Amino acid sequence: MPENRETMTREEFLLEMDEILGLRAGTLRGDEKLDELQNWDSTSLITLIVLAETANDAQISPDQVVGCSTVADLLRLAGVSGNSS
Amino acid sequence: MASETKAVQSEILREMWFPVVPENILRKRHSLKRELLAQPNLMPARFAILGGSTTTEVKSMLELFLLAHGIQPTFYESGYNRYSEDILFENPNLMNFKPDVVFIHTTWQNVSQFPELAETEEEVEQRVRREAARFESLWEKIHSKLGALIIQNNFDLPRLRPLGNLETFESSGRVNFLMRLNAEFASYARKHSSFLINDILYLSAQVGLSAWHGNTYWYNFHMAVSPAATVTLAQNVAAIVKSVYGRSKKCLVLDLDNTLWGGVVGDDGVQNLILGRDHPVGEAFLDFQRYVKELHRRGVILAICSKNDIENAKEGFSHPDSILKLDDFGAFKANWNPKPANIREIAAELNIGLDSLVFVDDNPAERALVADQLPDVATPDVGSDVTRFAEILEAEHFFEVHKVVRDDLNRSAYYNSNAQRSSYQAGFSDYGEFLVSLEMTAEIAPFSSVYLERITQLINKTNQFNLTTKRYTSAEVENIAQDPMFITLYGRLADRFGDNGLVTVLIGRAVNETLELDLWLMSCRVLNREMELAMFDELVEHCQARGIRKIVGVYIPSKKNSMVADHYHKLGFIAGEGSSETCQSWHYDVPKSQPAKAHHISRKPNSAGAIVDGAFSADFRTEPADREALGKGPGCLMYR
Repeated sequence: MPENRETMTREEFLLEMDEILGLRAGTLRGDEKLDELQNWDSTSLITLIVLAETANDAQISPDQVVGCSTVADLLRLAGVSGNSS
Repeated sequence: MASETKAVQSEILREMWFPVVPENILRKRHSLKRELLAQPNLMPARFAILGGSTTTEVKSMLELFLLAHGIQPTFYESGYNRYSEDILFENPNLMNFKPDVVFIHTTWQNVSQFPELAETEEEVEQRVRREAARFESLWEKIHSKLGALIIQNNFDLPRLRPLGNLETFESSGRVNFLMRLNAEFASYARKHSSFLINDILYLSAQVGLSAWHGNTYWYNFHMAVSPAATVTLAQNVAAIVKSVYGRSKKCLVLDLDNTLWGGVVGDDGVQNLILGRDHPVGEAFLDFQRYVKELHRRGVILAICSKNDIENAKEGFSHPDSILKLDDFGAFKANWNPKPANIREIAAELNIGLDSLVFVDDNPAERALVADQLPDVATPDVGSDVTRFAEILEAEHFFEVHKVVRDDLNRSAYYNSNAQRSSYQAGFSDYGEFLVSLEMTAEIAPFSSVYLERITQLINKTNQFNLTTKRYTSAEVENIAQDPMFITLYGRLADRFGDNGLVTVLIGRAVNETLELDLWLMSCRVLNREMELAMFDELVEHCQARGIRKIVGVYIPSKKNSMVADHYHKLGFIAGEGSSETCQSWHYDVPKSQPAKAHHISRKPNSAGAIVDGAFSADFRTEPADREALGKGPGCLMYR
């Protein structure tokens, strides 16, 4: 995740997710269910937490990430739930 | 377009090399894996990870770093914290998996019980022994049931110290207890060649205990090591495996000016070079030289590749503070030719592949040129700050060793005497006369436990003179040596310039009256010396003694072994039927008597004389003995 969460856009977050999941850039649209994504596994989840931790984002806890069921949930958690531009 | 794609690939793969950023490895693991799997000639290997905590991320990261060393793993993963049950109760899934390597990922959380404060020193000592014995029983069972190489974590330290500084010296202190357990593990490792330690005590110190443990991940996912530190751990385990499979580098190629000393020797003169304790930067160059000298002492070959006049370059080593001396170098190229050309010549002179070389130069343009033209040569981005050179070489684990092999300690001397042989050879017009004058003597005998490590090392690192390029772990070599179905031979070669050490290995599997050669390889440092003929003479004698009437030689072509495509033909074998592009079969009818093919290597049997097949198996049941013991038992022919 970018160092400064405040400057993160929805597109940036989705691109980050694409990379973590090994998908071609631009694949994720935001409405996907995590369970239905082929590469969504414990390491992806942990990577998200690590990146949030690296960006000093104390707002995202493991419990919250575990509680997400869609990419949109993750977007809301990351505070970038705005519409795609 | 193709080169652009290649550039993109190598750019992504650079993430795997210094400076590794764990977060990037985690983030890009899928694309990294894709690129790594696209590499040619990956070597398959079977890994069992037995975890005392969650191991999913360990497996994921280990896969990447093994692939980066050209090893493609298949994994077995134990259930959470079932590292001992899987072994003790012989989980059939694990037994059927037949791992080559078992990695036991335990940490301080897996200690069954720490000492109570009131326990006496004697009671604590008993507890240390009991805990160590618990692990030893696992290792023994792995050894007997699976015959796999074991990589075992030693113990890291907990973050918290209830006894404060007393922890380290009070016998009931946890820190004290863990350090004593680590000493027990180390003692076991010294006595067992198929048991290696992954030093997480060091790794956790390097990372820092807070970053190593990461409470978040322990309490939420029962990961004993944080995800970022898991990257470091995987890198370390992969380096051990790489070393076992003979993929460590052999030679360090060094620039001179501003790499081994400060200043330009041709311009500044020896007396003005920055080198020595009287100057801060000079002291750093001195320490780098000392580090390089240590590498050399344990068998890393050193070479110079410098843009300099040869006289000036050599003069630099006459500096009174220079730790490195001219005779430390197996090859010395100082001229004005492009460095890639010089490095190619260095590899040719030393008879080693370009992929065995590491090039260190403070000049980024030279590094870029070598990296571009010789992608097989490791060219780390060492920067221009001498204080970091050694640290960067360490971080890459280029020269990782899993055992100190006596032959390795002398390896540099072999290569240095190779240079003497080359100049000596120039004085002969007849190659046969040259061979006679070398006064070569060979020792060829069935595998001996004394040489187990060297034999395994040679099997796993020899690529060119290698008929089948099959790889074996030391446990497999040990099993083969004890199995009477096999004929095994090693060969040592000495000459007037010195002892080349153990340079060739052969393994044949006997079925009825036929012997199939699974493995035949030889170090390139004794090419064209008739050593392969001496080995063949010895092999034929063994076959005659055992009533074997036919030898089947197998040649499996690889990217690097074309030099032995005609090997069996030259020895008089006849091409067999059913050969294909990927595997050729050659046949040789063993005659009742046959004159020796090697004419320039002297041989005479040792005092015991006769060959006794299978006698070497007794040797393998003992601990490595003194080298002097060799040749004293039956089954060992000494060629002198």
